[in-house]
Parts: sequence; C-alpha cells; structure tokens
Amino acid sequence: MTVDASSPVLDCRGLVKSFGPTRALAGVGFAVHAGEAAAVMGPSGSGKSTLLHCAAGILRPDAGEVRLHGERIDELNEERRSALRRTAFGFVFQFGQLLPELPADENVAMPLLLDGVGRADAVARARAWFGPLGIGGLERRRPGELSGGQGQRVAIARALVARPAVVFADEPTGSLDQATGQETMAVLVDASRRGGAALVVVTHDAQVARWCDRVVEMRDGMVVREWHAPAREPVRA
Amino acid sequence: MAVGWRLLRSADGRNRIGAVLVLAAVCVSTALLMFAVGANHAFDARAAREAWRFPRADAHGTAVEAASTDYVRGRPITVVELARAGAHPPVPPGMTTFPRPGERWVSPALATMTGHLPADELADRFAGRGAAHRLGPAALVYPDELVAVIGRAATDPGMTARREDDGGAASPTRISAYATTTPSTSDATGYTILAKIAAVLMVVPLLVFGGAAARLTAARRDQRLAALRLVGATPRHVVVMTVAEAVVTALLGVVVGLAVYAAATPPLTRITMMGGSWFLGDLWPGPLWLAGVVVGVPLLVGASAVVGLRRVVVSPLGVASRQTPPRLKAVRAAVAVALLIAFTVAAREAGRLGAGIVVALLGLAFLGLNLLGPWVVGVIGRIVAGTARGVTGLLAGRRLVDDPRATWRTVSGIALVGFVAGFLALFDPSGAPGMDTATNRLGIVVRAADAGAVANHVRGRLDRAHIAARVTVRTVPSPDRVGVTVWPRDGGDVDRVRTALAGTVPGHVFTTPADESSGEQTLFRDIRTGTLVVLVVSFLVAMVSAGITSVSSVLDRRRAYALLRLAGTPLSVVHRARLRETLVPLAVMGGGSLAAGLVCGLPLALASPVSPYGLTLFGSFVVLGTLGVVAATLVSRPLLHAVTESPSPQPD
Repeated sequence: MTVDASSPVLDCRGLVKSFGPTRALAGVGFAVHAGEAAAVMGPSGSGKSTLLHCAAGILRPDAGEVRLHGERIDELNEERRSALRRTAFGFVFQFGQLLPELPADENVAMPLLLDGVGRADAVARARAWFGPLGIGGLERRRPGELSGGQGQRVAIARALVARPAVVFADEPTGSLDQATGQETMAVLVDASRRGGAALVVVTHDAQVARWCDRVVEMRDGMVVREWHAPAREPVRA
Repeated sequence: MAVGWRLLRSADGRNRIGAVLVLAAVCVSTALLMFAVGANHAFDARAAREAWRFPRADAHGTAVEAASTDYVRGRPITVVELARAGAHPPVPPGMTTFPRPGERWVSPALATMTGHLPADELADRFAGRGAAHRLGPAALVYPDELVAVIGRAATDPGMTARREDDGGAASPTRISAYATTTPSTSDATGYTILAKIAAVLMVVPLLVFGGAAARLTAARRDQRLAALRLVGATPRHVVVMTVAEAVVTALLGVVVGLAVYAAATPPLTRITMMGGSWFLGDLWPGPLWLAGVVVGVPLLVGASAVVGLRRVVVSPLGVASRQTPPRLKAVRAAVAVALLIAFTVAAREAGRLGAGIVVALLGLAFLGLNLLGPWVVGVIGRIVAGTARGVTGLLAGRRLVDDPRATWRTVSGIALVGFVAGFLALFDPSGAPGMDTATNRLGIVVRAADAGAVANHVRGRLDRAHIAARVTVRTVPSPDRVGVTVWPRDGGDVDRVRTALAGTVPGHVFTTPADESSGEQTLFRDIRTGTLVVLVVSFLVAMVSAGITSVSSVLDRRRAYALLRLAGTPLSVVHRARLRETLVPLAVMGGGSLAAGLVCGLPLALASPVSPYGLTLFGSFVVLGTLGVVAATLVSRPLLHAVTESPSPQPD
C-alpha cells in the first residue's frame, strides 16, 4: 500500500538536529498530505517532539529542509516563521495552552486577533466552533472552569479557527483519562479533516495513534517504521 | 525544615532568580528602613544634645544659665553663659569643668573661624582670660556648629538682666542640673515630629514592597509545594518549609541591607538640616532598634510568605485550578475614601488632636490608598478589556481583571510617591511672604527710657573702633520699647559692628533683619531638603519595586508567554500588552494619588497650589515616574525573551 501520491502539504527531508553532544534527529524524512492524519510514535527521547518542533518552524534544523506547499520554510527568519505559525499552523498541547485570564471564546479568537481580524468578527468566528465541537454554552467560561476534556476541545477550536494547513498536536490526550482521551482524538481528527488541515500527532500511546491514517515510529532520532492504521501494515522497514 | 532547606539549595535557575529577587528586595527595604529609623534617631539625638541649653528653673540651683544667639558671616553662634551660684555647680555636657568667670569654651568650628577672621570681627566678642577651651561633641547639635560657652560671675550684668526669651535666647535662670529634653515649643521638637511624618511616608511603601516580594517566593513555590501536599505533607510541613526558606533568604537580605546602609551613612551625614551636617553615630539607631530590624524584617517576610501560601495550605489543588477571580469589593473604595477624608479633617484639627494622632491617620490614609489601588486597577481592567479592539488591549485588560493586585504591586510604588509628591507640593519653601533678608543694618530693641543712653553708648563704641556708621532710633510695635539701629557706611562692616557692640546691652545681641529671619529660612530650607529626601527615597523604592515585580511577573507567567510566542505571537505584541497593562493603571493611579496627596496636604499647606516649586515637583514626578516604570518594565524584556525560548510549554 502506498501513501497519497499527490504532493504533500508539509514535507521534511533529511532533518538533522543536535543539542550539544546529543543528536535528536539523524536524517529524518517525513511528509503529510492535506486532510491526512499522521501519528509520530516512539519512546521518550526518540526525537519525535524535536521533529514536530522542526516541522512547525519552532526550531531550525542543523541540516535538511522543511517545505510547506513546496516552499522552504526552514530558511526563513524568526519573524517570518512566527507569522507562519500564526497563519498556517495550529497547535494542541498536553497542558498550559490556554491563557488563564481569557474566557474560552477569546482564547479561541486569539490567532485571528493576532492576524489583525477585528474583535467582534474574531469572537463570532471563534464561537462558531463551539457547537460542532460539543462545547456549546461554555464560551464565556475561563480555562480554570473547564474540565480537562473541555479544555482540550477549546484548544482544538483555537488550533483550527484560522483554517491552518497543518495542525500539530503534542501528546494531546496526555493529561486526560482514557475515555476522554478517545473522545478528544475523535474530535481532533474529525475537525481537522473537515477543516481540510493535515494533522500531525506526536504520541507514545498506541491507542491515540490508532485514530490516525498513518503511523511513523521513531527511535534514536531516526524513522524506523511507517505503517497505515488501522491495519498497521508496514509501509517500509 | 530540612526539606525546606534542601528545596532552597537545590532551586533551579528560575527559582534561584526568585530567591535573588527577594534577597534584593529585602536588602533595599532594610537599608531604607534603617534610613527612616536612623533619621528619627538622629533628630532625637540632636534634640537630646541641644536640651542642656534650655535652662530648667530651680530656685535652689547652684548655677545660673543664660543663652543667646549671636551671628557671624550670617551663621548663628549659640552663646551659653554660666555663672556659679553655689557649691558644686553642674558641669555641662562636652566640658570637663564648670567654667570660671572669664573662661571660654568654644566648639571646634568656632575655634577655626576665630582663627581665620580678624579679631575685631569675631574673637574680640569673646575676649577673656587665657586661651579658649574646646567643647566636646556632647555639647554640640551637629559637628560644625558654632557654640561658645562663657563663664561669668553671678553678679555680672549679663547674668541678671532679662532677655527677650524666644527660640534663640533664654534669660538667666538658676539651675541645679541641665535639661535632658527640649521644650515642646522648640524647633528640635518640631523637627522630630516632621521626621516621624517622613518616616511614615517612607516606611509604608516599603512594607507594601517587602510584603509583595515575600509573597513572590511563596507564589513561585506554589506548584512544588502543592505537589508535596499531594504526596501527604501536612499544612504544617508546608508552612514550616516556606517560612524557613523565606526567613533564611530574608536574613541574608537584612545582613546585606545593613552593609549597604553602613556604606551609605558617611555621605548621608552630609545632608544639611537645621544648619548643619550629622555625627556618624546619629544615623545609627540604638542596639534595640537594630535588633528589631534584624529580627522583625525576616519575621515580616515569613508572615507575608504564609499569607501567599494560604491557597496551597487550604487545598492541594488550590493552585492548579484557575477560576474567575472574585471581584474586589467596592467597600475597599469606601473604606479608603473614608480614611482619606478622616485624615483631611483631622489635619485641620491637628493642634487640638496632637501630632501623634495626625501622623497615625496619615499612615492610615496611606494604607487606604493600598486598599483602593487594586480595586481601581480591576475597574480599569474591565474598561480596557471591554473596549479593546485589538489583541494588545484585550490581553492587557484581561490580565488586569485577572490579577489586579499584581499590577498594583508594580505601580503602587509610583502611586504612593505620587501621594507623597502631592502631599509635599504645597510645602513651598520659597513661598514665605514678607521675609526681610537685608544685611545693611543692625538693630536691637530696648526700653524706650533707655534709648537715648544706649544710642550714645553705641556711638561711643563705634567711634573707638573707628567704624563709620549712622545710629537711629525707631519705634517698634511693642509699647514703651524702641529699636536702636546702626547703619554702617561700609556694608562689609557688619561683623565689626557686632564685635564692637558686644555686651553694650547685657544679654542682647545686635542683629540684621537677615539674622532675625535666618531661623525661618533654615526651616524652609530644611523642609525643602526633607521633602526631596523623602521623595528620592520613595522614588528609589518605587523603581526597585517596579523592576522586581516586573521581572517576577514574567517568571510567574512564563508558560503563558512561551505559549503565545510558540503560537506565532510576535514578542513585540506581548511587550506592548505588558506596557499597556502597566501604563494605563499608572496614569490613573499616579494621577489619582497625586490628587489625593494634594487634598490631604491642603490643611497643612504653606503656599498656594500654583507655586513654581510645587509645579516643578509635580512635573518631575510625572516625567520621572513614567520613565522609571517604563524602564523597569524594559528591564524584564531580555528575561521575557529568555523564558519564552523553550520550544514547548513545560509543566512547572
């Protein structure tokens, strides 16, 4: 079985990244297509988070290249990479991602506000996500007044509100119980797909990875296996 | 306790920054607290050393004491005359024996001056037997004071004639011992009260600042201590650990603060007050006060840390959840306004209520501002957040609503300095009307019946001294008294005239109008110096406070900032939001407290509100205050950059 033949929305080739004497990435290739959900799995220290950070323009690789829609983004300066993170990428993390002093709808509207959208418009567009994600009525709650699962859904709405090309999720269910985690993954995958965004999920949990179309396994800074879920059919050794 | 110490020692970089911030805060607080206490001690010490010059009558006394104020080159010379009136007359402070008739004791500064000036300008006034003895420091109010103690016979006309009793003169009085306290009407007593007001104005912001710094440590440890609670540490364990950590840090801060104060004392002694500088020892309060500072400050810091920990102790999850903060109650505003009004009313009745109550109410009015501050910041936050169109205003506004106390801690220093500036702006030393500062004539007031004889006597003395001058007799407001005035042809002859006429009318001294108003001028100069010292000190506190709270707010919110940056928010947006969340409350609170200070100062005002001095003070405060707080916020900019560099948000 082969992956989608059309050109990938995000394409990483030969990524190398070291932190002092530690080599976190040792020539990693990774690509993801529009509407596709890919999981990056591996034990702690395998380099999966570093791959996410390089792919999202948070870190600059020491070697290799990252292309978004065919354009190199790893060579851009910090300012332009910041702008890219604001407009082309969305992020969901395990914790600490919502600004505690802002109510949920304003948290979701933040990427739009940062992009210069007027407040009323930004908040209205943000609120439109609450119903479909199953958190209608919680718009004015503050993060401290939301459950873990509700908070993650708000974070998903925020990741998607600016219609990004790629959504990066780093252990998105790490702080949730199993049932809530499964629900959250369902919402994340479904909403990303409907929004036409590619989804990259970094996780060490096979249950989470099951929700994705494809799984990439990493070890010692290298991709060691790649297969399609749910059949878990190896694509290459 | 052992775990607490290990926590402190094993603190990571960020927590170490926190400990250093607290240490710096306690160090600055201690140094300034020492200054406030030291200044009070210094005025008290001066008053105690001046007391012996105010004779306390005792009909069975063994000595007669009289005092007057002479002048040379525009500077006052305190002249104390003593005569034996029985066995064992009391030996004055700073002297080894009671002076015999004709014996002179002079202060070192007067001795030096006598050596420099021609004898007919100064030395001849105190001519007597043998060389003059040197007065010890115990006899002097300040090191460079001009003092002469003259021994006389009890029958000397100068020791029997009554004098014009006022601040600078005392009629001959029989005494058995020297007074140890100054009369309540003396300048020295007035100064000690002013020093206490100044201490309140300086110490209140200091307490607020010290408390904020202490709570900072506790808040920064919240997460780790909450984790300890989760694994079974009892509230007592947590409290003991926190107090131990805060007290150890504070103790170090106190030691460094004392060293800083010790280094600063020599330059501080050069601040001129009441016409002179200070003895080094004056600025060091007694061992009791010192022990109070060494023990009290760490205890206060420990207590504040416990207050900061309250939430962790109540619930292990207390710090993890984040809920809508309860609105601060408007009753805060009501209490604050009531306190300000109470002070304003009380100040009008200061004479009746007594200085102690007014000083206490001033302290309360000041604390009232601290109640009002966070409430106003919250209101401002709701307005800013409600009307914000862009992300900067929204972030700033929500942050203000979320934690108004944090923002208040950043701007409170400046707001309280604003209160001080407003309060003091009306004490305009240049605004005293009708002050005659002429030095072209010297006068004396005598009984009308004696006027002719005195005038002739004066003319005779001036002729013998070869001084060309005109002598006139003029009326004075008091009945049956007239003024005899000498107009020297050469304006530079004033001190020669004074010397030639010394003792013409026993116990009375010829003075120029400038001499007569010199006490008032000194008072106004001192008020100006005092207000500037208080302002500078408060301003320093405000700046250090703003810098420290700004840095600590970055540390406290590092996760949120890191996330914003990660999601592509330019740091400039975060900076702008942080500046706005400081500047908007600063403008409102700074302005508000200036106005509050003005209202409170009005009943005690010396001048109209539009004096140039007041305006300059106001202007400087507004410009420097704004620049200072902006600078303090900018100090944390590199830190903001550093703490947001981590690629993904980490749990604390």
